[in-house]
Amino acid sequence: MGEKPIKGEQKAFMTGNEAVAWAALAADAEIMYGYPITPQNEVMQYWTRLAPKYDKRFLQTEDELSAGFTTVGGVLAGRRAFTATAGPGNVLMQEPMSMAEAMRIPTVVVIQQRGGPSTATVIYSQQEVTLTCFGGNGEGLRIVYSTSSHQELFDYTIKAFNTAWKYRFPTFVLADGYQAKMRESLVLYDPQAKGIEMVPTESFVGKPGTPGEDRPPAHLRNTYNTEEELFDVLSKNIREFEENAPEITEYEEFNTDDADLLLIAHGIVFRSAAMAARELAGEGQKVGYFRPITLRPFPQEELRQAAAKAKQVMVVESAYGQLLKLVKENLYGMEVPIKTHLRPGVGITPEEIVADTKKILGEGE
Amino acid sequence: MGKAVKIALAGEGGQGVQSVAMILTDAAAMEGKEILYIPNFGVEQRGGVSIAFVQIGDEKIGAPKFKTGDIVVALSDRAVRRVGMYVGPETVFIYDAGIKGVEDDIPQDAQRILAIPALETANQELHPRVFNVLIMGAVIGATHVVALEKAKEAIEKKLGYKFEQNPELREMNFKALERGYEMVTGTGVA
Repeated sequence: MGEKPIKGEQKAFMTGNEAVAWAALAADAEIMYGYPITPQNEVMQYWTRLAPKYDKRFLQTEDELSAGFTTVGGVLAGRRAFTATAGPGNVLMQEPMSMAEAMRIPTVVVIQQRGGPSTATVIYSQQEVTLTCFGGNGEGLRIVYSTSSHQELFDYTIKAFNTAWKYRFPTFVLADGYQAKMRESLVLYDPQAKGIEMVPTESFVGKPGTPGEDRPPAHLRNTYNTEEELFDVLSKNIREFEENAPEITEYEEFNTDDADLLLIAHGIVFRSAAMAARELAGEGQKVGYFRPITLRPFPQEELRQAAAKAKQVMVVESAYGQLLKLVKENLYGMEVPIKTHLRPGVGITPEEIVADTKKILGEGE
Repeated sequence: MGKAVKIALAGEGGQGVQSVAMILTDAAAMEGKEILYIPNFGVEQRGGVSIAFVQIGDEKIGAPKFKTGDIVVALSDRAVRRVGMYVGPETVFIYDAGIKGVEDDIPQDAQRILAIPALETANQELHPRVFNVLIMGAVIGATHVVALEKAKEAIEKKLGYKFEQNPELREMNFKALERGYEMVTGTGVA
């Protein structure tokens, strides 16, 4: 093993894409596979700049389909491998990630959401929530972290490798073009110095010894002959996903006791919602927030508890109802009214949320 | 410094708006400030209006974009029209005095409106290349988000390799910074 890329802690001021590349290095990722697409290009750019110094590798593929499949291949060979993509690239990535889901392959994918559908904008959105959580012809047995700052991009990119390898579900770090391109400060660190041990990797194929004699045979399948065979495998995977969910889910909340309005937001929009809630709370208004950090699995119980104490909730997102869909599903059966502030493909400022909140609270008087 | 200072800098692609933002935020980072800087970016490789959204404060910055800036700077006619939406009653709006045909587009509701002869000064007294550094000086004069000396350090860090070959460039850049600074502080804005 070569020299450590980060010793102890180091304050930095950089873009989110750069923070991801540093995080992957710090997590001792061994190889990145990728195909360029804005706004994630600089993840590749920084990785390729840093990789040779630390004996890491990079493979540029012909498109995102092969970037996804080579990532799957890298993991099968026992490598801590990852890729990054956005928008239409994320669409193509769903085929290989379905395979990862089917075979419980611990891939790590960083998504920098851009405007959609299709090419749309290269800038920003939160329109890849449904795709990242439920893309592919399966049940969405994936883990999706929605980050809101460069510190979180760094923290959760490291964590994604451990979550993926511990639970063996494909794991995604879901950010966006703003987080990709903006510069802000964060603290880079060596995970070990913080007591974070990287979950060891192991190869799925080419293990030593004779199968059946020295070890059980590696029986890797994504094809089944009978419906029942598939059902058994899926049932086991679904059970394990659900059993582990409480350990995996993460969330953050503020002022949820007796809120007149509970803001629900994720990712970068959460920052605006948090600013709005704190400002309004400072003025004596009963406004709180709930932020799912994991969108898959979703912190259902925690949201239900917060919503049960609120007079109404408002979902705020840069999409037309993708987080809203998750919220509705997870609040099913509850009577709390759901308001919305939906701005597909556009950033949301705290001022807008404050204005909308005041309007809603004013209506009730 | 209480609340973060919000700055929107807009100009034509190539005018160096993003370079200014980079150096300014580097200087602020050297001072240990909290910063959030986001460039607007699109599919075009060049041309079009380029905007830098910069926030500098003592505490972690919230959202990346804002509705109204404390300082909004426009360096071309199209930039004037584009950034009007970020101007409010608390905003100091700065634009280049040489921009023609924008009389009707200058935001009316700004707290202060300053037309500074940045382009003319750069072209006639200094060099067109240091126009953006002069603008950086004006931004610092209006906000005092960083010390002028720190800005010089950041310029040195970014352009030091060029200064080694041609020390006159250093002097010209620093002079541009100071001229820009004085253009705004002389008006009593900050």
